[in-house]
Amino acid sequence: MKIMSYHNMSAASVARKIRSGEFSVSDIVRACLECIGNMDGTLNALITREDQKALQRAAFLEKAIASGEDPGPLAGVPVIVKDNMCTRDIRTTCASRILADWRPPYNSTVVEALENAGAVILGKSNMDEFAMGSSTEHSAFGPCRNPWDTERVPGGSSGGSAAAVAAGYVPLALGSDTGGSIRQPASLCGIYGLKPTYGLISRYGLIAFASSLDQIGPFTRNVEDLALALNVLAKPDHRDSTCSRKARPDYLEALETGSLSGKKVGLVKEFRNYRLPPEISASVDRILKILQEAGAIIEEVSLPVTMTSGLGAYYIIAPAEASSNLARYDGVRYGLSAEADDLLSLYLKTRKAGFGSEVKRRILTGTYVLSSGYYDAYYLTAQKVRQIITREFAEAFSRVDTLIMPTSPSPAFRIGELVDDPIQMYMMDVFTLPVNLAGLPGLSLNGGYSAEGLPLGVQMVGPKWGELEILSMAHVIERELGPAPIAPGGVTDEN
Amino acid sequence: MSISKEEVRRVSMLARLEIDENEIDSLTEHFSSILEYFNALQELDLEGIDPFVMEGVEGTPWRDDVTLQWNERSSVLSESPCSDGDFFKVPRILGEEG
Repeated sequence: MKIMSYHNMSAASVARKIRSGEFSVSDIVRACLECIGNMDGTLNALITREDQKALQRAAFLEKAIASGEDPGPLAGVPVIVKDNMCTRDIRTTCASRILADWRPPYNSTVVEALENAGAVILGKSNMDEFAMGSSTEHSAFGPCRNPWDTERVPGGSSGGSAAAVAAGYVPLALGSDTGGSIRQPASLCGIYGLKPTYGLISRYGLIAFASSLDQIGPFTRNVEDLALALNVLAKPDHRDSTCSRKARPDYLEALETGSLSGKKVGLVKEFRNYRLPPEISASVDRILKILQEAGAIIEEVSLPVTMTSGLGAYYIIAPAEASSNLARYDGVRYGLSAEADDLLSLYLKTRKAGFGSEVKRRILTGTYVLSSGYYDAYYLTAQKVRQIITREFAEAFSRVDTLIMPTSPSPAFRIGELVDDPIQMYMMDVFTLPVNLAGLPGLSLNGGYSAEGLPLGVQMVGPKWGELEILSMAHVIERELGPAPIAPGGVTDEN
Repeated sequence: MSISKEEVRRVSMLARLEIDENEIDSLTEHFSSILEYFNALQELDLEGIDPFVMEGVEGTPWRDDVTLQWNERSSVLSESPCSDGDFFKVPRILGEEG
């Protein structure tokens, strides 16, 4: 499509060239905005564009650089942020009618961190409403399309961020992951996506879906950018009491690993019990072979309860927490408000008009399982199963350093294919959601392509705080396979 | 386990979320599907497991109880669909006479 010379550069190299004075921030920002202007009519990856603000910010950064200041490790890097993270004075919709015009009075911690590191926010990305979904079709702003095949979904719920990075709009975007919402779209769009350990990155200003599961993380086209993003984002924050107070390592050290000699990689064997396209198993095998050739020892690992009961536990716990978190949308303090004569009708009508079908299903499911007489049977049972899953992972990590399995049971599916079949849609997260239940870090990287040429992700899971370990292994793989390419439907470079 | 239509109506009131009569069938069906997945959980041995121990979680951090300045009252109120002075305004709470 449109010519531009920055589209396949990494965030790290953009920042390096800006800091060295080789590129100007405005040139890069203008080029990215042009690319978005040309392509987003088709992809619909963005809900809100902030071209003027981005250009003003670019000019501000240039002035700072001219006066000898260093804007930081993401100097001039254009980024896109999922639309469930609060941005002061930029509307933050959660892809919902109920928040369609809401302007937060504050920035989320991650937005603050990006800006303090010198990044330029170009816009807010499309998503499944309130992050509930696996296709980015459940958006009040229309479905997002996959740049690998625009008839297909980019995955979800952070589909807009994944599509934006895969299409070459920006080298870095933020997503959030409650049951797979970073890893599954990264898989379907052929890029890197990392869901960190629960508590690594502050969630202050992330609009809550399921508070014991939600985590923010980056999408990129290479491993160095993942490490760079973690260095910027992973910090203690007193405004989020679940954010760890521990010191974080320098994640760029992951790039120094050469050999995996003595490292143990566990292949989760139960994924073979699912009927998957043969190319998915082939992708997993391909990644294992690379790790083995780099010196790692491959061992089969069994997670029997995790791989059979994770879905059942998740679809009790996540809706329960959602029904509680979404009780705040009442039409009184912010957001949509329906006309009503009394307060009860105001609640009933506002929520009916404001929420989409999937969000309603989850609120009602969650309300049901928490309601009097059912709480013990459903929620407590699911929480106990969650403990078993956590122990199964802990037991596995007493023997191996990382675990490998597919990210998603399917490549990108067609728009409309699963939207009326919620249970089949939930199955798309069957390999990713147990990782949230156990609070562990998970990374998706491309392992190959389907017969139709669609990307297939492989998931690498680490122990708690094991980001450095999985980044090191991902970097070894990247050295063999190269960085993620721009999708065929993305911007091309004819220079 | 199954769930009745009456129960779906009751839950929608608890959730303060009005649903149309024609949505009830598909919701009933959805609940039943979710509960099917759930039934498999009950076959596991869950004896003696504490549902609320989160291993490795650091616990609640404490801080001094210090008042901080936050000067966003007007920007918060400006997002309200209906406010009056420094208050959010809602329609009638009690019955006709209230």
